[in-house]
Amino acid sequence: MLPSRHSIIFAAVLLVFAFLTCAQEKKGNDYRVVSLSPAMTEILFSLGAGSKLVGVTTFCDFPAETKKIAKVGDFSNPSVERIVGLKPDLVIVNLPEQGRIKRELDKLNIRTFVSSPASLAEMYEEISELGAAIAVQSAADSLISYMKSNLKPVVPAKRKKVYIEISPRPLVTVGSTTFLNSLIHDAGGTNIFGDLNRAYPVVTQESVIARDPEIILVLHPERITGRTGWQNIEAMQNNLVYDDLDPDHFMRPGPRLIQGFNKLCEILK
Amino acid sequence: MTKTALIIIVFLAAVACGILIGPTSLDAQILQLRIWRVVLGIFAGGVLAFCGCLLQGLFGNPLVEPYTLGSASGAALGASIGILVFGTINPFLAFLGSLGTGFFVYTVARIEGGLLRDRLILAGVVMSFLCSSLVMIIMVMGGRELYEILYLLMGYLGVIINDSNRIMIIALMIVSLGLVAFLYRFHRELDVISQGTETAAGLGINIQNFSLVIFFSSALLIGLTVSIVGAIGFVGLIIPHVAKLIFGPKHRYNLGASLVLGATFLLIADTISRIITVYELPVGVVTSLVGVPFFIYLYKK
Repeated sequence: MLPSRHSIIFAAVLLVFAFLTCAQEKKGNDYRVVSLSPAMTEILFSLGAGSKLVGVTTFCDFPAETKKIAKVGDFSNPSVERIVGLKPDLVIVNLPEQGRIKRELDKLNIRTFVSSPASLAEMYEEISELGAAIAVQSAADSLISYMKSNLKPVVPAKRKKVYIEISPRPLVTVGSTTFLNSLIHDAGGTNIFGDLNRAYPVVTQESVIARDPEIILVLHPERITGRTGWQNIEAMQNNLVYDDLDPDHFMRPGPRLIQGFNKLCEILK
Repeated sequence: MTKTALIIIVFLAAVACGILIGPTSLDAQILQLRIWRVVLGIFAGGVLAFCGCLLQGLFGNPLVEPYTLGSASGAALGASIGILVFGTINPFLAFLGSLGTGFFVYTVARIEGGLLRDRLILAGVVMSFLCSSLVMIIMVMGGRELYEILYLLMGYLGVIINDSNRIMIIALMIVSLGLVAFLYRFHRELDVISQGTETAAGLGINIQNFSLVIFFSSALLIGLTVSIVGAIGFVGLIIPHVAKLIFGPKHRYNLGASLVLGATFLLIADTISRIITVYELPVGVVTSLVGVPFFIYLYKK
């Protein structure tokens, strides 16, 4: 039996309507994005999508335009209520740090975008996915190719042993699961605590001395000179201690990595 | 006197363990580090147990210790504020925190002619709760300082010694030793007071003044200790009991024994914390892990 004319018309109207709403969604393109990741905030701005940001954390301090965006809390304790109040279409969360926030947003059916890059490759992948998610794919592609051409992994004859200090009290360094660990490798060095399967392990002074780093990167504001027991570490002896670095250039997997990476290559040459 | 010889031998053995046992082989640099660690361990363990013994004697209550009187929590709060505001632990703020809570507890518990002992503990525990909440607020607000405050609350001996804090730590330890010597002189008065305040008053001891001196000197000591190694728990509560089990109620002996046993205990706990993991484990975690089974064994025996 043929379908009646009415039902065909009805189906056609439905189809057209569906197309229309679809097109409208695409044309409108005014995604409301909340970013809980300082790196992703920077990426969004370099994708020219900074205007889509309706909420960021107090840690999102670059570029300067972030000052004018509503704050939803700090990196480790953003407020779910404030996020929800901004009626976002997409919330960018960092895992594992913001797992709790993600679970709560999932319960409320708010779409999340998970960021937890452990290497340059994963970062490119995320930029591409984010580009697709908020319809700025071409900008994402050009950012990726720009970063790729400026971040060329180095393979040296001998890798220098690097110790990275995040905090002096207690001694916090970076372990194997962090982005920085992989960045050090790409720049031609090797992290002396790269065997610890943690993100930010607290280590002993003894283990630093025993692993005798050739280069020390200090990513906190304190000076490390004059420490008891540290005098004979190779990096201390050769004065290869770098304490004037901007941690954000190394710890944030975003466009400013290029500066950090070039600096690292220079240090590790 | 064999007991004295025994605890001194155990103490020396703990010192030897503290210096010799560790994850890395010993060389000149590691030796320097271990010596500092051992010195800090002796200092912190000794002082905390000494204060615990002193306060238990003064208030005739087995529950009294730097934690239950709020002094340690107050010091930790002061130090946390220092971390938030100045970026480093400030001994003066730690002392101020310890003294501030001490003052509150004292005011609440004071009555005409003495101190209400039950109320003292209650006020101390209440203040501990308050200080913990405030520290939590600072931890939530600070974010990046979280690790530092966490380690401050548990206490650890792996403190980095450098040109800027070496002199200060040595000075603080000398002041503390002076205070310990000063307080030790009151062992006779403590013997009398722990028998009951009426007897003490009858013998002409001004309990009000005496309590004031002991209470605030120990608050100062606890503040100094916390500002160097953090708020290490358990030592101040348990070691005085062990000392009393071994040496009886006379403070002349058990004050000294607390000092030595506290140091020994903390050194052993720290040696364990160093060998069971590559990470820097806060020694305060190990003190209770090791201490509780030991304590149960001791009292069941």
